Amino acid sequence: MAWQWFNRLGSPRWFYQKSSVWMPWLAAISLLLLITGVVWGLGFAPQDARQGNSYRIIYIHVPAALLALAGYYLMAISGAIGLIWKMKLSFLVMRAAAPIGAALTFAALVTGALWGKPTWGTYWDWDARITSMLILLFLYLGIIALSRALSRQHTADKACALLTLVGTVNIPIIYKSVDWWSSLHQPATLKLMEPSSIHPSMFYPLLLMILGFYCFYAWTLTAHTRILILQREWRTQWVQQLLTCNKI
Amino acid sequence: MHPARRQRLILILILVILSSAAVGFATYAMRSNMDYFYPPRAFAAGEVPLEKRIRVGGCVVPGSVARAGDSLDVRFALTDGEAQLTVVFDKILPDLFAENEAAVVIGKLQQNGVVRADKVLAKHDETYTPPEVADSMKGSAVCLQQESQGVGA
Amino acid sequence: MGLKPPGAGITGEAKCKRKIGPGFFTLLRCELLLALRRQSELVNPLLFFVTVLALMPIGIGPEPELLTRLAPGLIWVMALLATLLSQEALFRGDYEDGSLEQLALLPQPLYFAVSAKILIHWLVTGLPLALLSPLLGLMFNLPIAGYLPLAFSLLLGTACLSLIGSIGAALTVALRRPGLLLALIIMPLYVPVLIFGSGAVQAALDGYGYSMELAVLAAILTAAGALAPLAAGAAIRISLDH
Repeated sequence: MAWQWFNRLGSPRWFYQKSSVWMPWLAAISLLLLITGVVWGLGFAPQDARQGNSYRIIYIHVPAALLALAGYYLMAISGAIGLIWKMKLSFLVMRAAAPIGAALTFAALVTGALWGKPTWGTYWDWDARITSMLILLFLYLGIIALSRALSRQHTADKACALLTLVGTVNIPIIYKSVDWWSSLHQPATLKLMEPSSIHPSMFYPLLLMILGFYCFYAWTLTAHTRILILQREWRTQWVQQLLTCNKI
Repeated sequence: MHPARRQRLILILILVILSSAAVGFATYAMRSNMDYFYPPRAFAAGEVPLEKRIRVGGCVVPGSVARAGDSLDVRFALTDGEAQLTVVFDKILPDLFAENEAAVVIGKLQQNGVVRADKVLAKHDETYTPPEVADSMKGSAVCLQQESQGVGA
Repeated sequence: MGLKPPGAGITGEAKCKRKIGPGFFTLLRCELLLALRRQSELVNPLLFFVTVLALMPIGIGPEPELLTRLAPGLIWVMALLATLLSQEALFRGDYEDGSLEQLALLPQPLYFAVSAKILIHWLVTGLPLALLSPLLGLMFNLPIAGYLPLAFSLLLGTACLSLIGSIGAALTVALRRPGLLLALIIMPLYVPVLIFGSGAVQAALDGYGYSMELAVLAAILTAAGALAPLAAGAAIRISLDH
């Protein structure tokens, strides 16, 4: 039973048809969560005692940073599934996730810089988390560059999957070493928050925003994967049928 | 044994040897504690090496901040509740630096027992709380309480 | 090991390459011979390393204190770039004359062939860099305390760089101009080596021991020695489209 389901999931056509049903739901849920989160977080959550209103950027910064990392692991897992079970769809998900992950990492860096100005007095600081986020961005960009450079699609799929996996082995090492490095240059006092040390009245909107970002991520990823499916499978009968139906 | 199979065996042996060596080196590296962070009491006990780049953390003692009239030179004392340590600094102090707040200093200990700082950092408050809650918590003991829970951790 | 390699009789440009089947050490000797024949490839990374480093004081000014401050980082970054530049050629020649394909067809794991190539690459690039480092220390007014850690960290670190870089070289071997792309995909992976390499020198300059940094480099080296040739082997099979 499980295997049958697994194999069906691997078929781009099945995924395309099923996901047309999910898409509007995902969009609606993420929109709802994001709007509630933004209104609550920006409008109703109390000010921070020391940082005043500037802490509110947390509601974008933290979800973006969380997803940037989670997105990389999603890429690695789907790349591994693709390499092991030769599943076409999983490669497509991996390739679709790369630009989204890069964009989120970039967003996390930018919001972090904007937040840094009022709190630390500087836009950029070579603190451990910022530096490792920057390196994560470089990893993402390298994978995207590799996927563009290789013209044969299925070579590119496998090459990117391998590079992603190599990166996954490296991420903890990079994080550890950057942490050590920056703690030598400056103490780990410029820490961001830990969820437990945040007051509930500020935490609930953050939770909503994180959930909203996850749904939004799922929606973008699905949309992106659907485009890749159409690009890759445009010669097949079902896509041709789809195209002619939509034209009329 | 079939040559290809023998090679595979050798390969597995090499992998096992290399990865156990990696684990060995990593544990050795972990064991050597390279955190050059000292509380003021370590200075009183004479545990801190002279003329090496170190880090000190503590609370700025109220009323100890003295500025020189004609230059940026500033002198202040740090405490961890047990001992005090004098620090001199010749650059601009960060905005969040204040008396009775935590600060971290990077610098070198000199012969006369004073730390000459290259860099002074105000400890950034890690907790996010609404103003009312923070007000109720406020008191001179707050900084020291946090310190005693271990800044160096 | 009496097995006759399937590729033995097919092509034989360099006589050397026919003997690939027998084992790791034969392969190592062949690779070394080939590397020594291509002298420009051997010397160029070194020349690049020294030239760019000589440009640095010209660009930033010759104050001895400033140079001392920058020395560990600059020398390390340059070593990284020099290794990276030479990495491109790691599998290129073998890819172009088809012997990479032959290697991939052999029944023995690619691990050995790839490790032999990496070892030779390190012998002709990393090792000379490390040996040259005292000279650069002199140019950069490095205090005496920094010489030994610089040489040791370069010795271990460049080997790590060669290993990690081989994955990128294998992934991009089928591309016509992989230079920049190779740098882009490999640079982020070099970060830990750079941190602990220059960290060792800096620790020594600050008056501390540097055994911890060297131990970390050794840990990275052994872990990469186990994993990188495997990954590079898989990458070669992907690039060859097997």
